[in-house]
Parts: sequence; C-alpha cells; structure tokens
Amino acid sequence: MASDVSGRRNILNWLLGIWGGGVFGSVLYPVARYLVPPEIAEATTRTVSAGSAAALPPNSGRVVPFGSQPAIVIRTPGGELRAFSATCTHLDCTVQYRADLQRIWCACHNGQYDLTGRNVEGPPPRPLEAYDVNVRDDEIVIARRS
Amino acid sequence: MKRQPWWRLTPTAIALIATTGGARAQSPEEAATTAFRDDVHAAAGVTCASCHTGREGRYDPLPRTAIAPLCARCHSDAAYMRQFDPQVRVDQFLQYQTSAHGRRMAEGEPRVATCSDCHRAHGVRRVRDARSPVAPINVATTCARCHGDPARMTPFGRDAAPPADWSAGVHAAALVERGDTSAPTCSSCHGSHGATPPGVTSAANVCAQCHLREAELFRASPKKEIFDAIGEAECLVCHGNHRIEAPVDSGVGVQDGAVCAPCHDDAGDSGATIRSVREGLDRLSGAVATADAILTRAERAGMLVDAGRIALREAREHQVQSRVLVHAFAGTPFTEAATQGVAAARRAQDTGEAAMRDLQVRRRGLAVATLLVLAFLITLGFKIRRLPDFH
Amino acid sequence: MNGAVREWLDERVPLADLVGALRHKTVPHHRYSVWYYFGGVTLFLFGIQVGTGALLLLYYRPSAAEAYESVQFVVTRVPFGWLVRSIHAWSANLMVAGAFAHLFSVLFLHAYRRPRELTWVSGMLLLLLTLAFGFTGYLLPWNEVSFFATRVGTDIVATAPLVGDFLVRFMRGGADVTGATLTRLFGFHVAILPAIATALVAFHLLLVQRHGMSVPPSVEQRANGDPSAVRQMPFLPHFLLRDLFAWTAVLVVLAGLSTFYPWELGTKADPFAPAPAGIRPEWYFLWAFQTLKYVPPSVVGLNGEFVAAAAMGAGALGAVLLPFLLRGTPRARRAVVWVGLGVLGFMAVMTSLALTEGAP
Repeated sequence: MASDVSGRRNILNWLLGIWGGGVFGSVLYPVARYLVPPEIAEATTRTVSAGSAAALPPNSGRVVPFGSQPAIVIRTPGGELRAFSATCTHLDCTVQYRADLQRIWCACHNGQYDLTGRNVEGPPPRPLEAYDVNVRDDEIVIARRS
Repeated sequence: MKRQPWWRLTPTAIALIATTGGARAQSPEEAATTAFRDDVHAAAGVTCASCHTGREGRYDPLPRTAIAPLCARCHSDAAYMRQFDPQVRVDQFLQYQTSAHGRRMAEGEPRVATCSDCHRAHGVRRVRDARSPVAPINVATTCARCHGDPARMTPFGRDAAPPADWSAGVHAAALVERGDTSAPTCSSCHGSHGATPPGVTSAANVCAQCHLREAELFRASPKKEIFDAIGEAECLVCHGNHRIEAPVDSGVGVQDGAVCAPCHDDAGDSGATIRSVREGLDRLSGAVATADAILTRAERAGMLVDAGRIALREAREHQVQSRVLVHAFAGTPFTEAATQGVAAARRAQDTGEAAMRDLQVRRRGLAVATLLVLAFLITLGFKIRRLPDFH
Repeated sequence: MNGAVREWLDERVPLADLVGALRHKTVPHHRYSVWYYFGGVTLFLFGIQVGTGALLLLYYRPSAAEAYESVQFVVTRVPFGWLVRSIHAWSANLMVAGAFAHLFSVLFLHAYRRPRELTWVSGMLLLLLTLAFGFTGYLLPWNEVSFFATRVGTDIVATAPLVGDFLVRFMRGGADVTGATLTRLFGFHVAILPAIATALVAFHLLLVQRHGMSVPPSVEQRANGDPSAVRQMPFLPHFLLRDLFAWTAVLVVLAGLSTFYPWELGTKADPFAPAPAGIRPEWYFLWAFQTLKYVPPSVVGLNGEFVAAAAMGAGALGAVLLPFLLRGTPRARRAVVWVGLGVLGFMAVMTSLALTEGAP
C-alpha cells in the first residue's frame, strides 16, 4: 500500500516534470524566435532599396514598392537620379516615366509632371512628393524626407 | 502704376471714405465708387471719367451695347496693354464678336451677356483671383445667373437646365468638392469670350484634353467612322453632355438602361462582344472586392499584408486600364487588361488567405500550449491534493 | 555527482540557509486565504512586464518619427512580436487589476495594522508606480488615441496654481506633447520607474518575509485571540505549489487574450490633426477622468479641475498614510471597511458611467 502511494507520487512527479517542461518550452520557443533577427532588419517605411543604379540608364525610370505604396526612381537625361512618390495626385493612379516626353506621365488622365515632380500638364492638382536618393555601392536607396 | 493719392479722389469718394462703416443706404454712384477702389483698373490709373461721360459726382450710365466696344478700346490695343502685362491677350473682343452673346449684342439685343455681366462693372478682379466671378471655381455660378434662370432663357428658346445638370456631374464634384481647378466648367467646353455651343466634333476635342487615352482608342476604333457617318458626337452619345456622371460597369450591356442598348441588342457579334466585356468588368470588380475584403480582415487581425495591398493596387490599375480599354470597342485589348487585373487580384487574395492561415497557425499553436498548460495544471492540482496533510 | 555539486555550491552560496528558512516559513490557512495569492500574482505579472518589456526594447525606437513604425515592425515583421507586445499590454492591465485586488483585500482584511505599516506604505507606493508605468507606457506606441489621452492627462496637471506650468513642462519635456515627451516618458518607463519599483518590491517582500502573512482580526477572534491556534500551511511546498498553479493559470489567460484579442495599434499620431471623438485614458484612469467631467469649472474661486485633482491627491496621500491615521479599535476598522467600500463603489459607478457614456 505504502509503495503503491509512493509509486503513484513518483508518476505524478514525472508527469509534472514533463508537462512543466512543455509549458516552459512553449514560453521559451516564442522568446527564442523573437530574439532571432527578422529577415528585414528594420521598418521599411522610411527607406527602401530601389535596385541597381547601373541598370537605370539616363532618360529612364523605374517604379518600386515603398511600403504598400509605389515610388518612382528616374534618371534624368543629364544623368541625375531622383525619386518621387509614384501615386498621381489626381486620382491615385501609378505614374510612369515617358522617355519620349522626358516627363513623368500618368496614363489615366494624361497628367504630366516635369523631372522635378512639378505638375505641369493635365489634371494633377499638386506636385509629386519628392524622396531623397542615395546610392550605396550600386544600390539606390530612397528615403522619405522627415 | 500707383494707386491714386487721396486728393485725386472724387468728392463723393472722399465723403464715402469719411463715413466708412455708415449703415445708411448707398446711392448707385457711391456703391460703384466703393467697388471701384478694389478694381484692377483703379490700380492701373483708370478713373471714372475714363469710361463715363458727365461731370464729377454725376456720371451717366453706359448703354449696354456700348460696353464691349468701350472695353475693347484698351483691351484690343496690344501696344497699350503691353505696359501693364507684356504677355496679356488682346483678342477678347474679336472672340466676343464671334460668340452667340456678341453676335446678338451686335444685332442690338441688349439682354445678352457683355463684359461687365461676367467681370462686374466696377469691382473687376484678375481671373486668377479666387474672388473673381470668372475664377474657375465661380464660373458655373456666374453663367447660371442667366443660363439657370428659366425666365431669362425662355425668350431665347433655351433650356435653363445645363447649370444644374453640370452641378450634378463628376466634374462639378471634382472642381467644387476636391478643388481640382483643372476639372472642366462651363467655359472649358464653350469658351469664355467666344462662348458658343460647341459643334458635334469639337466637344470630343475638349474631352480629349484630359481623357486622351479614351479619345485615342475611340478614334482608332470602327465606331469613329460610324458615328461620323450618322452625325453623332463621339463621347456625348454614351456619357451625356452637361450631366456627366461617374461611369459604372453596369452601363456596358444590352439590357434596359445600359448605354449600348439604344443601338445594340443581344444578337450578333456586337451583342456577344458587349456581353463578354461586361462579364470581364464584373469578374474583375468581383475579384478586387473579394481580395479587398480578405486583406481588410487580415489587417484587422493584425497581420501584415503589404504584398497583397501592392497586388491589389495593381489589380485596381488594371481595372482602370480595362475600363479605359472599353473605348476600343473590341474584345482583345480589353480582355488582356481584365485578365491581368483578375490575376493580380487573385494574388492579393492569396496573400490575404495566407495571412489568415497564419492566424489559424497562431491559434493552433496557442491550443497546443494551452493543452500543455492544462495538463500541467491538472497534474499540479493532483499533486497539491496529495501533499501530506499539514494539520 | 549531485552531492558533490551541492556541496560545492553550499560552500559558496548560503542556499541551504535560504531553503531552510523557507522550509520553516508557514502561511496562515483560513477562509480568506485565497486573497493571499493576489500579491503573488501581481509580482508574477511584474516579472512578465520586465521580461516582455526587455524584449520589446530590442526593436523599439523612442522618437516621434519612428516609434509607431517600430512597434508596427515588431507586430508584423518580428516572429512572435505580436505575441510579446500583446502580452506586455494585456499583462499591464491585469497587473493593475491584480494590484487593486491586492490593495482592497489587504484593506478589508486589515493587514495594514502594526507592525506592517511600512509594508502597506511600500505597497501603496508600488500601486502608484504601477499607475505611473501605465501612464508613461501608454504613449510609447505613439498612436492617435494615446497621443491625445496623454495631452489631456497632462493638461490636468496644468490647473495646479503656481507650479502647474512647471509640472506640465516637466512631464512633457516642453510646452506641448511632442517627440520630446515621448523620449522623456520612455526614459521614465524603462529606467527610472523600474529602478524605483525593483527597490520597493525588494523592500516590500523583505517586510513580508520578516512579518509573515497577517491574520485577519475576525479569524484571530474566532481563535480566541491566540494566533498560534490558527492553522498554518507550510510555504514549501504547499503554498508555493498553489502559487505556481495561480501563475500558470494567469499565463494561459494572458496567452489566450493576446492571441484572440491582440492589442490594437491604431493609427499613427498626427499632432496637427484635431482630436478624434471618444478620446479616453486607460480603463483604470476612467473613474478619475469621469469625475473631472462632473466638477464645476470653478470651486470657491479655484479651478474646479484642480480642486478635484487635489482632493484625489489628498485621498491618495491619506491612503498611503492610512496605518498611521488609524487607532487599532474595532470601530476604526469598521469605518475603514465602509470607507473602502464607498471608494470602490464610487470608482465602479464612475467607470461604468464613463463606459456607457462613450458607447454610441
């Protein structure tokens, strides 16, 4: 009888240890995963990579995602890099670079912006928001102005 | 040009300035003098006597037929106007003479509009001054003073509905509510000084200034020739003229109320094309709505669906494009855009669904952990009950 | 092996003394014993706050430009970041609730009596610290609701005569709630307050160990004034295992709340936007917030809000010094119960008024 009780207690202690280990594990696992640095090292709402600078010839442009909004990076015929929000200020279409016009152009209502982002033709009521452009090695990095 | 020094003001004006703020009723001359103080002409050194005959304090009103030629004395003189603004235009009177207003006025009909009806007589401001009655945002109100008044329009056999119709349309909403000054108002289509009803073809040219892609597509389509042959205006047939409402997908179709229905029925190739375009539009907007709904649900639950939002944006752009491509009046370019749009919306939906699955994984993980904890608690409960008694 | 390690440790760390002391420690066992666990639960939640708070620090950035984005980053990009942040937020709320439950149980069981006056005082200070933690932490995500709630909350301080302006400047780090306020409250939240709290918790626990658990007068009376006649439960293992039970249960509740009701982040604060409708502080400040609404703008020539805030401050001071203001008579104890119930009822009514008023 006495050995029965102590045997049962032993089983109880074993179970307690197993379940306790499980509880401990389910606390430790999220913490360990949390401590591992995420793939993207920091919030991308302020700066974002816009690809290779060499792959962007003069008089061309490229639309890249900036958070959940598009941004446009252009290289002017003079070779200078510039970046703007690619959301047309008229009805939120995405603008593109038109090499033949040498302007940023919105296909929806033929809105046009010059190479400094100013609305120069068509319905857009405001200029495009300009971003800062930096080149790290060959990588274009655009940043929202604070 | 400087403002006039006070000693060159008329006695009436001096008396008026001395009693500024007085509540007594002004005589027409006093009102005119007050208004004239803010007039661009006052700043340019024009005085009462420049326009009016009579003696100081008692000027004669101008006959209405004489107003436009009087203004033209300066405003058609390029050499004179250049001293105020080297780029100023001087063709207003020429234009006015070609306008419906000007032609009637020349025939001696004094009830039609002349310069001062739109620009005011004594409080003339520059067009770019928002307080001017001819500033873009005020043009419709100014025109509606006559063209929205049945009492004034009936004698000319004209309808007084256009201003109200325009106000109910998308362009009024863009101009008045959003303050988009590029949105067309009366003068954008009818002209200002040369105001006249635009002809059937010229109306489409006006639309094409902003709606370029639609116009290009239309003009390359077989419709162009047919419409020209039967003498129908391009855009206006489907979109109307003054009351241009936001186009809706349900307008495409052969059922009652659809814009195609007056000419097309269900039969033949055209009927099939119309139906397939409508199906494409509906499929795309359905896909966009479904994707948006699931992305919103995922976002509310705290999930990140940036990639989905970008895909949805792309789908919306294809939707805009495909709605534009309806103006090609053919199956191919439209179907391509619509298919791409549906594919993008599907991708957005996939992202949303993946996020929702991820959420399920979280809950399943919690369930596992909870089971472990419950097992632990139950065992601990037993353990506590089996502890040696402490009494 | 086991023995050798123990011997090695015993020689260097007085573990055996500690375990021995705990083995002799007992906890009174009676019908109100369940209330003893609230202190432990609050302590456990404090531990969770320290742990999750330290984890959040790895990714959080205390500036107006980045605070919101960094919290968003934690919640969306960092694996289990959503869980850590939600647990921190939920645990904060449960901790306030736990601290209040502990306070009122101690009050109603009259555990503040001699010789536990300083335990009470340190406990009251810890409660105020907990509220300060809540207030300073609320702004850190830099979202709309917290921004305006902080602005309103600090405005109340401005009503104090003479020093009001200085106090507001002190709390905000400037004339208005800005990035400077964020950095300042962050410093308080993660360094200054935790340092004070840790010292106070240690002091509080030391006193609890020194004096043991208090036996309520009613239980003492039933034992005919003989404290040794009250049944005692060994701390090790009986009480500790029960504590463990309570803590694990709290942990699973926290995990469930965080998974099914993740703490919302809201929209980023825009200092130039008009205050949105329905701005309200955390639930545990609601009663005070609501009281201020009913106060007339001017009371005997003084700013009404200030009078109300001063009255609350005086009440808090009275509560801190309660053991010194009271004679140890049964009548005084009955008065304490009635006043305590009155305060509790007032808070409950005001909170429910605020909640129903806010509902559409």
